[in-house]
Amino acid sequence: MPSGYHGCVLRIDASSGHAERVPVSDDVLRAYLGGSGLGTRLLLDAGAAEADPLSPEASLVFAFSPLVGSPLTTSAKFAVVSKSPLTGRINDSLASSGFAVAGKGAGCDAIVIFGQAPELSVLVIDAEGMQDGALPAVRLESAADFRGATCGDTEDGLRARLGAAFRIASIGPAGERLVRYATISHDGRHAGRGGSGAVLGAKRIKALAVRGKRRVEWARPTELTALSRDLSKRSFGPATAKYRELGTATNLLTFNRFGALPTRNFQSGTFDEAANLSPETLAATREKTRASCVACTIGCEHIYGFGPNGAKVGVRVEYESLFALGSLCGVGDSDAVLRASKRCDELGIDTISAGGTIAFAMECVDRGWLDAPWLVFGSGEALLRAIELIGAREGLGDLLAEGSRRAAAAIGHDSIAIAPQVKGLEIPGYEPRALQTMALGFAVGARGADHNRSGAYEVDFSDRVDRRHVTLDAVRHAIETEDKAAMMDSMILCKFLRGVFEDFYGESAVMLSAVTGWDVTRDELRETARRIVAAKREFNLRAGWTPAEDTLPERFLNTPLPNDPEAALSRERLDALVAEYHRQRGW
Amino acid sequence: MHVEFFGVPRERAGVSELELHADTLGQLLGTLADRMPSLSEIIRHDRLHPAFVANLNGDRFVTDPRTPLRADDCVLILSADAGG
Repeated sequence: MPSGYHGCVLRIDASSGHAERVPVSDDVLRAYLGGSGLGTRLLLDAGAAEADPLSPEASLVFAFSPLVGSPLTTSAKFAVVSKSPLTGRINDSLASSGFAVAGKGAGCDAIVIFGQAPELSVLVIDAEGMQDGALPAVRLESAADFRGATCGDTEDGLRARLGAAFRIASIGPAGERLVRYATISHDGRHAGRGGSGAVLGAKRIKALAVRGKRRVEWARPTELTALSRDLSKRSFGPATAKYRELGTATNLLTFNRFGALPTRNFQSGTFDEAANLSPETLAATREKTRASCVACTIGCEHIYGFGPNGAKVGVRVEYESLFALGSLCGVGDSDAVLRASKRCDELGIDTISAGGTIAFAMECVDRGWLDAPWLVFGSGEALLRAIELIGAREGLGDLLAEGSRRAAAAIGHDSIAIAPQVKGLEIPGYEPRALQTMALGFAVGARGADHNRSGAYEVDFSDRVDRRHVTLDAVRHAIETEDKAAMMDSMILCKFLRGVFEDFYGESAVMLSAVTGWDVTRDELRETARRIVAAKREFNLRAGWTPAEDTLPERFLNTPLPNDPEAALSRERLDALVAEYHRQRGW
Repeated sequence: MHVEFFGVPRERAGVSELELHADTLGQLLGTLADRMPSLSEIIRHDRLHPAFVANLNGDRFVTDPRTPLRADDCVLILSADAGG
């Protein structure tokens, strides 16, 4: 077994709480590393692609990585991998912090959960005092006391009940009610996209509580310490200044200037009230604090106060939440947007899919396709009401809890043309017509429209392409960003570090070698990244993927952006880009 | 020409926009560095640090310091990392 790993997976039947250790071969670990890659491989082996994601047979994987527990900055991360109840395709969501360290400390490289508990339960995994090679104590406890509780209250309550050394990953009320874009939350952060919270909810698991301190050996600890110091030092430099000083929210004014800020369900690329939501304005008008994940030197979290006196309640502010709950719904009232973001966090709902689905419904109301006259663009009150209904699956919320694609099927009127989704996953905050390499990234994404699995927007914001008139030359750049994301999500390091590497694959090889002892090379890791992307495609093929899914909604292919006539993407051009992508992938 | 700052460059510059005359991108960046020492981490001689980019008129991203500028151009300076 290589250093950096335990060499086994903990498989738990949620029906009984029965657990077993299953060895994982060195070959599999080296081929898929951890995180998204290992999780996908384990799901393929479990036959999860063919199963209904909300059925007892479905598997859900919490996958750690060789770097978890090392001193490398941002390495305390885990991936949650399953079939998505929103898309019916592969879903891998990442989150950070102490749960990753405790989960790996339970003596395994991944936790695989299948089955269905007899009642709403907490899955307790306790490796305190565990001997080498032994099973941690695994049991189901009733979660009746936490039924309907928010993610934060569940976490606080369970640590009070079980002990402060436990680390908790939980679902909110939305996960219990199988909202198809429910999240799994830990320490205020979320494995957010694709509905992994609904998968856990379908297993009647309100939370995982993990305690463990089992360590792994590192192959060359002195070298690893030196590498970690160097990486930490670089993480304080200009390449991460954006995240440290303003956070991801800084995108807002930039994208607005470039006509790429999705507004009113993608009917425009500019938002008149964007300045209200900008971090510059928020910082000038509200109390602000910063925070970071365990083992992170960047500290990207910017927490703003809101409420009548401006500072009593805090919420982590991210660009994606500001865009989805703000400009996309036409809401420029920052207090309403921050309150909506906080409420999504509490209920355990993905802010992007929530905002996308609500904005879609607002446009349907506008067009007379949906009878909900209160649900209008620009109304913070309507936004908050819609979020509450979704979390409770009450009234219109029961439809919107299904996501925009299923809602469009129910609404009819060819509303699917304006449903802002790819493969059922709502589109994040990058206007595809103004950022056309990203448009390709969205169209071909294995988990649907996604900015974390394809960083193609970086290409659009460079001199490598003309962002509004991309050619086939953009395809290789899009593939490169997708491969790099697959590597970072499997190794695992935070993507906010990506700008500090001059030779990403070469430096990654050095770090992995110091941890594992493998004589891994730059070229091998490039192949590994491609293998992981291909594994996701294999999962989707088994789940029923067809080439017709690799596209964008009709809205983006029929009309240029009203604010920018040059931002036009024809179906023929997108089809050509997708075909070239498939050709270069060898698919 | 008109210069607009976004994100970290705006924080460092302390202004969101200003007017300046320069014949090339390199000349513009050099002048900015001279006038605004707070931009020293962002501008290295006549080039931007790789973590930052310049754009002409919202259309074209430019890196070559010899890129000619016209009096009616608008130069945008922003973080290269556009991701959220």
